[in-house]
Order: sequence, then structure tokens, then C-alpha cells
Amino acid sequence: MIRRRLIPYFLLGPGLIWLILFFVVPMYYMGRLSLESGSLLTGFEFTWEWSNFSDSLSAYDTQFVRSFVYAGIATLLCLVIAYPLAYAIAFRAGRWKYLLLFAVIAPFFTTYLIRTIAWQTILSDQSAVVDVLDAIGLAGSNHRVLDEPGSVIAGLTYNFLPFMILPIYASLERIDQRLIEAAKDLYSSASQAFWRVTLPLSAPGVVAGTLLTFIPAAGDYVNAELLGAQGQAMIGNVIQGLYLNVRDYPTAASLSFILMALILAAVVVYIRFAGSEALMGEEAERA
Amino acid sequence: MKWLRHNAINIYAGVAIAYMLIPIAVIAAFSFNDPEGRYNYTWSGFTLEHWENAFGVEELTDAMVLSIELAALSTLVATAIGTLLAMALVRYEFFGRRPANFLIVIPMATPEVVIGAGLLSMFLIYPFVDLGFQTLFIAHVMFSISFVVVVVRSRLIGFDRSLEEAARDLGASPLTTFRTVTLPLLAPGIIAAGLLAFALSIDDFVISNFNSGTTVTFPLYIYGALQRGVPVEVNVLATILFAVTVAAMVFTIWQQRRAERMAAVRPEEEVEMLPATPAVRPAPGGFGG
Amino acid sequence: MTKKLLIGLAMLLAAFAIAACGDDDDGIEAGGGDEEGATETVQLEGEPSGDLTISNWPLYIDKAGGSVTGSGTTIDEFEQEFGVKVDYIEDINDNFEFFGKLQPQLDQGESGDRSIFVVTDYMVDIMNNLGYLQTLDKSGLPNVEENLLPSLESPDFDPNREISVPWQSGMTGIIYREDLAPDITSVDQLLTDPKYKGKVTFLGDMYDDVSLVMKAQGVDPANATEEEWNAAIDTIEEAADSGQIRDFTGNAYAGPLAKGDIVAAIGWSGDAIQLEADNPDIKWIRPEEGCNLWSDNMVIPVGAPNPTAAEAFMNYVYDPEVQADIAEYVNYVTPVDGVKEILAERDPKLAQNDFIFPDDAFTADCTPQATPDPSFEQEVTERYQAVITG
Repeated sequence: MIRRRLIPYFLLGPGLIWLILFFVVPMYYMGRLSLESGSLLTGFEFTWEWSNFSDSLSAYDTQFVRSFVYAGIATLLCLVIAYPLAYAIAFRAGRWKYLLLFAVIAPFFTTYLIRTIAWQTILSDQSAVVDVLDAIGLAGSNHRVLDEPGSVIAGLTYNFLPFMILPIYASLERIDQRLIEAAKDLYSSASQAFWRVTLPLSAPGVVAGTLLTFIPAAGDYVNAELLGAQGQAMIGNVIQGLYLNVRDYPTAASLSFILMALILAAVVVYIRFAGSEALMGEEAERA
Repeated sequence: MKWLRHNAINIYAGVAIAYMLIPIAVIAAFSFNDPEGRYNYTWSGFTLEHWENAFGVEELTDAMVLSIELAALSTLVATAIGTLLAMALVRYEFFGRRPANFLIVIPMATPEVVIGAGLLSMFLIYPFVDLGFQTLFIAHVMFSISFVVVVVRSRLIGFDRSLEEAARDLGASPLTTFRTVTLPLLAPGIIAAGLLAFALSIDDFVISNFNSGTTVTFPLYIYGALQRGVPVEVNVLATILFAVTVAAMVFTIWQQRRAERMAAVRPEEEVEMLPATPAVRPAPGGFGG
Repeated sequence: MTKKLLIGLAMLLAAFAIAACGDDDDGIEAGGGDEEGATETVQLEGEPSGDLTISNWPLYIDKAGGSVTGSGTTIDEFEQEFGVKVDYIEDINDNFEFFGKLQPQLDQGESGDRSIFVVTDYMVDIMNNLGYLQTLDKSGLPNVEENLLPSLESPDFDPNREISVPWQSGMTGIIYREDLAPDITSVDQLLTDPKYKGKVTFLGDMYDDVSLVMKAQGVDPANATEEEWNAAIDTIEEAADSGQIRDFTGNAYAGPLAKGDIVAAIGWSGDAIQLEADNPDIKWIRPEEGCNLWSDNMVIPVGAPNPTAAEAFMNYVYDPEVQADIAEYVNYVTPVDGVKEILAERDPKLAQNDFIFPDDAFTADCTPQATPDPSFEQEVTERYQAVITG
């Protein structure tokens, strides 16, 4: 009986220890930094400098808003693009299932940087692609795609698509087909069966995918750096610049904490809205 | 028309996958480029030269090998740890469950710049490992765990426990049940998580940049090269990496099909096998000696 | 539920407490040694031997067969002559990025195993002010004493060349597409000409960009006041916000220029030669207002292993014969006297190359990059960074 009680702790042990040692502790140091003041030259002192937080938030509010907007749009686009694809792989692919799944992840094995650089080439002003987009009117007043919000959002969407596809696929795949058959036996049409049975059952996957996409997208800076210009800078670019170029570690640290807090707030609200059982694994209560 | 409606989703899937592969096609195409100077931005001419000399840029090849080793190792560890964590979180009621959940989600909500810089500061104050492969390994496992947990967890939720209960009813111990029922059923989720962890590791740039010391991973090499001209060999290696992984996957699937076909061929034999099994087991000390 | 939450929080706090207990340091501090400059001096010990790790920018030394240690290269010959094993790492792509990576270690008095870094003038200044550099022992550098170009003997940040030795020098000016924008001659044009709106990029490097703009505004960068710095940054900010400046690219202006997405960029002289090879329409010019002069310098950080071998290397590359190999390969200005004559015999065209051996006319009105006074350095740096990130 006692052994049974201890099992979860053995399972948790390695993971939690790793995370505490290599995530929580460094965060503590970041926390200290965010409340310090001074510069590299004069030395940093711990002065409970809460103004770091308010100052940096007001100085960089544009970039915060921009990051959340870009990430939000990219996430929505990812969802729209990914869901039908995940559905097709889970239900229509049959023998080709794993191959297709693989085709989804495969681009990941060429580096993030290279993929984004490839988009730089594809979307460069002189390319045929941009000419077509311009003809349709999608290239904006500058008649270019790069260095505009659109390309950064497109880059974010593209790069985070697998993060959306995989969880949705995983959760669609284990839906018991008999439930769908039962719905059809009960006279529902194919689309009703989808909306009433499949979609709700795939909710955990959708929730996971959305979070896995939105959160890193909000803090991203590579896409903005390679595909955008100063007008598209995201909060990730600001933090990186503050840390590396300006060496204003307290401000950088405080911005990081604000970003984390905002994201967590969004996540909490989202989970409340989407149904916490799906994510928090309340299942264990039943078992 | 009806054909279109029915197959619309398949056509869509095809288009979506093509979209995902477009940059890969561009990368592969430019691996055949023959630029005059250092920069591989405009098409100058076709050549196989860089393919013949694919591993010629020493620093690049070293970086690639290192990235693969790092990814393989960190994936194994992260997937194992993460799966255990997911099981604990979904299946057990225990002390500190909410905070544990929280702790796992937070790394994903943290900007990579912060994780990277924070880790570095800590490694310097507690230098129990050297900056380099070991610190990269630690960092990569760390950020992968959360993703593995989320993927495996979404597979675990709603998992049909009755199959496990059936196994228990038939007398299997918890460990055997786990090994023969739970794990295989969980496998797609674990594999998906593992693939994700591997890809994340190979791809990682920001966190690696801070914690690599003098070690250069593939993405770090490229970022540096971006400033001075990315050699064509980078495209070549990236294409090779892609092709190898595709080939590995095709091979695995082919093997799987073969196994299925083999199993399908001898149904009658299986029935006979059951009573005869004890005799088939090799006598102790039968081999070698 | 609340009880569990509280206990969970207690666990987390315990984790913090453990971290706090072990923390003697305040995290990131200033100055590995003193704040007034190098306090550690290189201790030379007999003949050079052992291992030597050097961090440098990419493509800054000659290679054979794609490798810096190929047969006949400078590194290879150095290894053979001195019996020292060299680990040459091309991991510097940006002064600040490199600094950011190493700063925590330098703070602890460690150099990340490296014995030599090569960093630009302003970074030498920054590192020195934080006490991260060792004072050189000049007895180990006779070649440098003899052959360093007179114009580089006494820069502002190191008047006696006690902490740094130039590796290569260069000029920052305008790189442009002659075919797309034949009439470009000045930085001012880049900032204001409506014809080129959205087709111009700046480096995003405060020292280079702002110095050039100050020159365009008739200000002497070396003596600029805080107001003058801010005025120059104002101008750049205006151009950035209006979309006149398309992007701040860092060194990555080559791509857009080659593709024609932009027609002009603030860029470095050495890059132009390679770009021209790809596309003969790409040219570097010295702007009307003048250009920036800078050097990338070898420095020995505190805690560097094997400073003896480090100085031996520094001395070695100041031998004109050796430097000629480097100059042939790297297309920047060589800081060593006597190389021109050697190259004149090997490759006369190269010896005439303005980018490697610029004469006074070529560098008329060119001045070293401006560095802000420490009293307002942090402010302008942060301000410029904000301009770059919109």
C-alpha cells in the first residue's frame, strides 16, 4: 500500500528535479536582476527597484502589443491550416498515416534559421511569388512582402505549424470511431457528427496545440529579425537587444518577467474558457 | 462534384503538405547553385561541385555532427523523463499536483533569451560542468521536457483504461501491464513527443547560443555564417539531413508493412504454436558453450 | 485544495531558498578586477608551447583547402615553427553578441579558455573599462613595435598600445548598386532622398551609423557632445520611422543588396570586394562626408591560459612575410608596414588595391568611430537600440 503511494513521486522525481535545478534556480537569478539597478560599469545593486517593471512596460508597450497580435494571428492561422490537415492524416490517410505525419515534421530537421532564410529568398522583392501577390494586391503600399508585418506573421505561422498539427493529430487519432458511428446511427449527418462528436473530443489537442504555438510565437525574435525590419520588432527582439547590446540587464530581466506574466495570464484565461479538465488532467480524480 | 466534396479534404492535405515543403525545395534547389563569391542569394548556375565536396567545410561538418549527437542524447533522456512525468500527472493523485503542473508549463511560457541567459549565469556560479556539450545537453533536455509532457499527456487523457484493467484481470502484474498494454498503446504519442524533442534540439539556436561555450552547433554555425555568407555546403547538408530522415522513415514504414504481411501469411500455424511453445524454447545452454 | 496549493508554493519557495543560500555573488557585477582598466599584466614564461585558443571573426585569416590549419596557412606555419597547438574558432560575428556570451565568465576573471579575442575598437574600450583585459608585455612583441603602421600607433582608447594590437583595419562607407542608383554619393542622400525611400539600410551599429550621420551634420565625432549624439540619433529615428531606412541589418546587408531589394547600404570596405565578385555592379564608396575608420584588435583577456603563446602569435603575424599571406586572402586594410612591397612582387594588382592599402586621398575626411563619453554612454546606447527595434 505504501509503495503504491510513493509511485507518483518516483515518476515525478527525475523530471521535477531537472526542472527545478535548471529552470527555477536560474529564474531566481533573473528575478534578482530585475530588481537591481545600475549599469555594467558602475555595478549592479539590489535595490528593490520596482520601477524597472513600470518603466520598461511603458517604454515598450508597442512591442508587447505587436507581439501578442502577431502571435495571435499566427496561432489562428495555424489552427485553421492545421486542423483539416491533422484530420485528414488521422482519418483518411490509412496506410500513409505515418508517412504524412513525417512529412509534417520533416521540415523541422532542416534548421529553423535555414527555413526562414529560404522564405527570405522566396519572398524577396524580385521574386515571382511577390509579383503575383502584388498583382492580387496583397503586397501592401510598399509593393513588397518582406519587412512588413505580413511576412513576419507568415513566418511565424509556417514555423509553428508542426506544433499545432501534432497535438491535434494525437488527440484525433485516439478518438474511438465507434462514437462517431454511433452518432451516425442516431441519424446525424457527417458534419453534425463532426461538430458534435469529433471536435469536442479533439479539444485537448486543440488546446495543447494552441498553447504550444502561441506561447513561443509571442517570445520569438528570429522571424522578426530575418523577415521584418524595425517596424515589426517584437518583444523578443527588444529583450535580446537590451541584454546583448545595451547590457541593461535589470530592464531586460524585468521585461522577461512581464512577458512571462502576460503569457501566463493569457494561458490561465484560455484554460478557464476551454475547460480545465482537458488540460490539467483532472482524470486522476476519477481514477 | 460529389467526388470533389468527398476528397476535398485529401486535396487540401496535399496542398498543405506541399506548402510545408516549399522552403525545403528552395533550400535543395540552391544547393546546386554555383555562386561567384561568398553569397548564395541569386542563382548563378548549376553545379554538383558542392555535393561532391559536401563535407569539405570542416567547421560546418563538425557542427552538424555535434548537433545530431546532442539531439539524439537529449531526446532519449527528455522523452523518458517527460513520459514518466506525464503518467504521474494524469494518473495519480498526489501532493503538490497543481504546482507541479504549473512548473511544467512555465518553461514554455518563458522567452528563450531568458532561459538561455539565466542558465548561463547559473552555470558560472556553480561550475559543476564545463560550458560546452554538457551544458548544452542539460539545457536541451530542460526545454524539451515540457513539450514531451504536453504531447504525451494529450494522448493519455481519455486513454481507454479498460484494456489495462482487462490485462490485470488476466493476471498480469502492473509492470507487465505497463510493458505490454500501456506502452504500446501510448507509443504513437511517445514517438510524436520524441520526434518533437529531437527536432527542437537540432533547431535550437537562442538557448544554445548562450550555453555553448566554444562548442558550435549547426544552427549556431549558420547564424554566424549569415553575417558573412552562408556556404552552399550548408544547403547541401540540410538537404542531406532531410533526405536521410525521410529515408529512415520510409524504411521503418516499409519494415512495418513487411512485418504485417508476414504475420498475415501464417494464421493456422499460430493456432498450433500455442501448445507447442514450450518445446520450441531452446534448451538451457543450447547455444554457445 | 488551498492547503495543497500552499504546500506546493512552500516547496517552490524552498527551492528558491536553497538557491539563495548558495548565492554569495550578486549575480552579474561590474569589473572582474578593477574598474579603472587592466590591472593584470601578461607574464611571459620562456618559450611558447602548449595550446592556444583564439576567437576571431569569420574569414579573417587565410585558409588552404577550406581550413585554417591546411598546409601552408599562417596557423599551420605558426604551429610548426613554435610547436604550439592552435584552436582557431571563428565565433565572433558581432562584438556585443560575443561580449554578452562571455561577460559572465570575464566577470569571474575567466576567459572561456581563450587566450586571444579580436574585437573592434569600441569593444576594447568597453572591456578595458570593466577590467577584463591584460596589459601586454611589450618585450614579447618586437615585430609589432617595429612594423605597426604609424597611423595606428596611438588611438584614443589605447594611447600606448598597451592592451591591444590591431589585427586588420577597415573603413565603413556606402556600398551600393551602381546599376540601380548611380547617383549616390553621400550619407545624407541615404537619409533624405525620396527616390530611395525604403531601399536603404543602415548597420544598426551605433558607433558606425551615428558617427557617419554626425559627419553628415558637420559634427566632429571624436568630440561630440550629448546633444550632438542625440541630434544624430533623432535624424536616424526620423528616417527609420518614415520608412526611408528599410532595415537595420547588421552585417546581413549583402543579401538584400545582391537581390536588389535595397540599392544602398552602410557597409564595410572588405565586404565590397566579395560582393563585387558576385555582382560587378556593387561598389563601395567613401561618402562625401567622409568614412569611418576602425580596427579589429587582438586582446588578451584576464584569466587567459598561455599568454606566452598568445604574444608569440601576435608577434608572428606582424612579420610582413606572414602578414602578406593574410592580406592576400582577407580584403581589409593591413596594419603592418612593409606588406605592400612584398605583395607588389607576388600580385601587383593586389598591391594597388585601395581597400588593402588605401592612400591618404582615399581616406580623406575619414575618422575613427566615435565613442560616447561614459557619462551618457548607457543612455544613448539604449536610445539607439530603441530606434532599431521600432
